[in-house]
Amino acid sequence: MEFPTDLKYAETHEWVKVEGDIAIVGITDHAQDQLGEIVFAELPEVGDTFEKGEEMCSVESSKAVGEALAPVSGEIVEINEALEDEPEKINADPYGEGFLVKIKMSDPSELDSLLDAEGYKATLG
Amino acid sequence: MPEPRKTPLYDMHVKLGGRIVNFEDWLMPVQFEGVIVEHNWTRQHAGIFDISHMTEFMVEGPDTIPLLKTLLTNSIGIGDFKAQYNHMCYPNGGVVDDLYIYRESEEKVRIIANAQPFETEGKDFNWIRDHIGNLNVTITDLSLERARFAFQGPETMKLLNPITTDDITTIKRFNWIYTEVKTTKGNIPIFLSRTGYTGEDDFSPELGSFEISCDKKYAEIIFQTFLDTGAKPIGLGARDSLRLECCFALYGHEINENITPIEANLSWVVKEKEGFQFIGQDVILKQKKEGTSRISVGLNLVNKGILRHGYKVFKDGKEIGYITSGTFAPTVGKSVGLALIESKFKEIGQELDVQIRNKFKKAVVVKTPFYSRGRKI
Repeated sequence: MEFPTDLKYAETHEWVKVEGDIAIVGITDHAQDQLGEIVFAELPEVGDTFEKGEEMCSVESSKAVGEALAPVSGEIVEINEALEDEPEKINADPYGEGFLVKIKMSDPSELDSLLDAEGYKATLG
Repeated sequence: MPEPRKTPLYDMHVKLGGRIVNFEDWLMPVQFEGVIVEHNWTRQHAGIFDISHMTEFMVEGPDTIPLLKTLLTNSIGIGDFKAQYNHMCYPNGGVVDDLYIYRESEEKVRIIANAQPFETEGKDFNWIRDHIGNLNVTITDLSLERARFAFQGPETMKLLNPITTDDITTIKRFNWIYTEVKTTKGNIPIFLSRTGYTGEDDFSPELGSFEISCDKKYAEIIFQTFLDTGAKPIGLGARDSLRLECCFALYGHEINENITPIEANLSWVVKEKEGFQFIGQDVILKQKKEGTSRISVGLNLVNKGILRHGYKVFKDGKEIGYITSGTFAPTVGKSVGLALIESKFKEIGQELDVQIRNKFKKAVVVKTPFYSRGRKI
């Protein structure tokens, strides 16, 4: 299982890649593995705003519904539209083509409360 | 609460890489490779399911058939070495459990029924025992003494026949035999029934699926022998999606203590029996004749999404029922579900709305089952 060191992680199994004031967000390799084969991702709409910790996306496998929470507060500026037809990209490439959304952060200092790869790995026990 | 229980195959599931979950207080593999992979494998090849969490009873004695005719909804009028699907009902018509009976003789019938969580442990056994009254019948609980398997899929005959001591291609659907499995530890006696929960049977000699029961001391060698044929282990996740494509009821979903067999659209499981009144028949036979105000229907979700148990169903803004089971159906490639709704909306093509979280999504009533092998004799 992979946890790239250039990403930040939430204990609720989302990852964040920071590009300026934009946070690219997805679910971790561990989360996709736990869910199993993903058959549907319900994404928010561009323009929606979320507070850190709010429910932002639903990622559904054949057996379970996983909720992705906003790891930082802000406005959705892009969603991964490819997931509509190919939600399995989340399984195949959770940190790349399987990203969920891009958020324009309203408070980048929230990033400080996220974990690094080692810290996240430790939470998995 | 006691620790969840393990079937005799638990250690093998772990070794095979099964992801273990708690199902009805049993530690069971939900998947090995992946639910959809296993689903497709079973439809195209053959899979082995551990169903040892289910319950098994032997009913014996001169009054066996009369007892079953008063407790069960179907005809019971089957010959020796035949099997029949049945519901066992409460006086209100709700279902105690759904089960299979396997008749060995007029005085000996095996029953295989659902697993029970700790909370309702012994539910079926106690219900049957408590209704014996003055009848000359004994009931024995074999659940924990035996292991149970399902060997399902179109390649089952090809893989299983060479390792049994009898020619199983001559067994017809809904028939069973005692036979032996040839293993590296010698021949092992099994109960073998041409029944299943996957729909992989076209009634022909070539394409049929089986369920197996054996003494639990042979569980591991039987499982290994089955796996050595090339059949793959399949978890409960695919077991659920396979049965749902065929619209087979799951207790606690399509049927429960408050849903009758008629409401579940299973009126074929209910037969009036000459000289016998079965428990619940006043309600159920009336419903069979006059219909019910609510009924189980099949739905396709038109918008993207997945139907799940409990989601509410609406028509023109008014709540008319709920989803009893839903999944992404791999074989038909659609998001499907069963819903218990007001009967006046049951027509094929009826457009309904399903509330998924905070959104309403369009669904349409469709013909059931979603998937069928059809019948080739």
